[in-house]
Amino acid sequence: MNTTLHSGYRKKGLKEYFQFREIPILFYIIFIVIIFSILIDGFFSIKNFENISRQITTIGIVSVGMTMVIITGGIDLSVGAILSFAINIGGLGISLGWPIPVVYLVMIGLGLLLGFINGFLVTRIAVPALIITLGTMNIYRGITMVITRGIYITGISSSYQIVGEGLLPFMFFLIILAIFVFITLRTRFGRNLFAIGERGESALYSGVPVNKYKVITYVLSGFLSAFAGIILVGKSGFIQPQAGMGYEMGAIAAVVIGGTSIFGGSGSILGTFLGSLFMGLILAGLTMLAVNPFWIGFITGFLILVAIAVDSLRHRRKDYSGG
Amino acid sequence: MVTIQGVSKSFPGVKALDDVSFGIKAGQVHGLMGENGAGKSTLIKILSGVYTDYSGSISINGEPVRFMSVNSAQKHGVATIFQELTIVPELSIAENIFLGREPVNFGGLINWKKMNEKSVEVLAFLDVHLSPKEPVGSLSIANQQIVEISKSLVLNSKIIIMDEPTSSLTEHEVRQLFLLIQRLKENGITILYVSHKLDEIFEICDTISVLRDGKHVGTKKTTETDRNDIIKMMVGRSLKMLFPERKGGRKNQLLSVKGLTRKGEFNNISFDLYGGEIIGFAGLIGAGRTEMAKSLFGTTLYDSGEIVLLGSKKIRFKHPGEALENGVAYLSEDRKGEGLMLQLTIKENMSISILKRIAPVLFVRNKLERELIRSYSKTFKVKMVSTDQMVESLSGGNQQKVIITRLLMTESQVFIFDEPTRGIDVGAKYEIYKIMNDLTEKGKGIIFISSELPEVLGISDRIFCMREGEIVKEFNKSEADPETIMHVLTGGTAV
Repeated sequence: MNTTLHSGYRKKGLKEYFQFREIPILFYIIFIVIIFSILIDGFFSIKNFENISRQITTIGIVSVGMTMVIITGGIDLSVGAILSFAINIGGLGISLGWPIPVVYLVMIGLGLLLGFINGFLVTRIAVPALIITLGTMNIYRGITMVITRGIYITGISSSYQIVGEGLLPFMFFLIILAIFVFITLRTRFGRNLFAIGERGESALYSGVPVNKYKVITYVLSGFLSAFAGIILVGKSGFIQPQAGMGYEMGAIAAVVIGGTSIFGGSGSILGTFLGSLFMGLILAGLTMLAVNPFWIGFITGFLILVAIAVDSLRHRRKDYSGG
Repeated sequence: MVTIQGVSKSFPGVKALDDVSFGIKAGQVHGLMGENGAGKSTLIKILSGVYTDYSGSISINGEPVRFMSVNSAQKHGVATIFQELTIVPELSIAENIFLGREPVNFGGLINWKKMNEKSVEVLAFLDVHLSPKEPVGSLSIANQQIVEISKSLVLNSKIIIMDEPTSSLTEHEVRQLFLLIQRLKENGITILYVSHKLDEIFEICDTISVLRDGKHVGTKKTTETDRNDIIKMMVGRSLKMLFPERKGGRKNQLLSVKGLTRKGEFNNISFDLYGGEIIGFAGLIGAGRTEMAKSLFGTTLYDSGEIVLLGSKKIRFKHPGEALENGVAYLSEDRKGEGLMLQLTIKENMSISILKRIAPVLFVRNKLERELIRSYSKTFKVKMVSTDQMVESLSGGNQQKVIITRLLMTESQVFIFDEPTRGIDVGAKYEIYKIMNDLTEKGKGIIFISSELPEVLGISDRIFCMREGEIVKEFNKSEADPETIMHVLTGGTAV
């Protein structure tokens, strides 16, 4: 029983928004900033940090939705595919000259719809979310490829690029973070997500609409993926069918490095923010060091495994101390 | 042959076995009886090498043994047929019999011929005619059991422990099993037969040992005892249990259940529940009580029948959330599986069912939540440092108090308590009885499911006896006594 004394407490006063598991990642961030600043000329500069802040926003926004899904004990591998599906179909509208609000509504609507399909399948079929969203990922990507026939959409009017200018993407990211911090910590829905992930049956017996809330997390994940797509279009000024490739890994990395348990039941949006920041700093540093970009996949995978291993050890220790 | 000497085993909060000593004679069928939770399973698990951490000693033929694993028990000739069979459905009969010790050729390849021949041999000895190549998954439960028995014979077992072997067999299959047990006995194999069915025990056993509250009450030759005697041994209490006094009487009707049926689980269940009363549901494990409760609460749907709430409103809940909104609360028998979120805080575990009330618009009102938790948990003295502590770090009794506090906070009218005192210490039990009394004084009604007869009798106003999914008899508190009820539950005729 004594072993849980230090880890057995959570959320008190100011600490409500800041859990113990976020402190180590904060130190890692400071550590790599120092290392890269010594190694790389111009790393410690406002311009570079502005760059990084722009780079982390798209995956960062996707990671917020991913956090909600993972807290309930699920996972969403189709985030990148949803992003691509939404902006490519929206892109057809752009080519056809639809008004901006209509294009944005279509993109967001598709994100919600594809997210709903994920949630519906995950709660109706007794197969792990990993497998189901692996399936929908391929289906969504396949449809995108068939419809676009692999063709890029360029020459997008500059009004679509307003959302991608300067610090605006990062501002959107911060606003989304703030909203979802409050959703997870202060609303009934958010509070119940942790219960669902910790022990779904117990949550059900306590009256929590488990399946409904799970579906909502996938819908939110789809929504945020589509929203990230809109920002991506704004930043890049073109739409490609392969957009969002590998985002699922980047997002999962940010989530688990940020301290959210891959087993569900615990985690935080703030942690995910720090996780995205950490990933962004590493990738930027490596790029500036002219490391072969093919190493990026290796590093992402490696960091995910390390974070999951730490999480798994933490779980095992708790299992032993349980009463 | 087997001597059990002063065996004790504790789990956090409970003493499952307390200084148990008795002997099992070679070549006999030795019955082991006791109520649910009397310690039968714990004893079997020690004898079969599952639990290695116990005090006391066990010896076979005068030689002290201490099994450190199921394997080491098997090497000493002790095999166990657990209620949950350990066969691999995809493999053939022969493969299952020889699983893990397949005979091999010179080159290390499996000697299929020898394996099949030997399997036929064993099956013939048991007078069973099955092809050794048949996959076990396609066999009936009875035949799967025979495969398990064959497995233990191949191991040259001298002692076979059978844990509730007839629980999923038909009457005909039971007959066959008994013939088989006779055959084993004739061949000098000792059998420890664990059951709570009186008829079977008296039919097949030479000797009967009874456990109660983890203690050995007695061992008698079947010829020198009778059913009443054994029942008295099973239910009599050495330790006088005290139940708190209850005030107030029966009030308005809360719940009326008519002909509730769910195929394969329970059949034609009818009863009424009034405010201010506790109705007890007695039964053995598998009698369908929990299944019935789950249908009342909306976690499963019943096939037919009707439930009327508060005299007028017909209800058919499709989700526990609906039940809670309508004032029906359920405490599951499975505290960790269907009750707690172990790695969440006490606060989060307590307020989960009333989040709708404390988050009426969008945000959870933290202050209101804290106040409600403080006022409700005052009733119960949950031993905790703070409500921000994880539930995992509490003892079983305190964990149970956390869930009960959650239910109290819902201010429901009907409470279904399913084994609320299982695995918790006497002090906490008493507090739970007190809470139940408080609830009835406030005019609420309680459906109380328990496998411990003394507490059902001690606290209920009316007692419903369930057997094989049906209510077989209803007693008023005044006319109920443990012996009569145990007769009804075990399928004997009432005295």
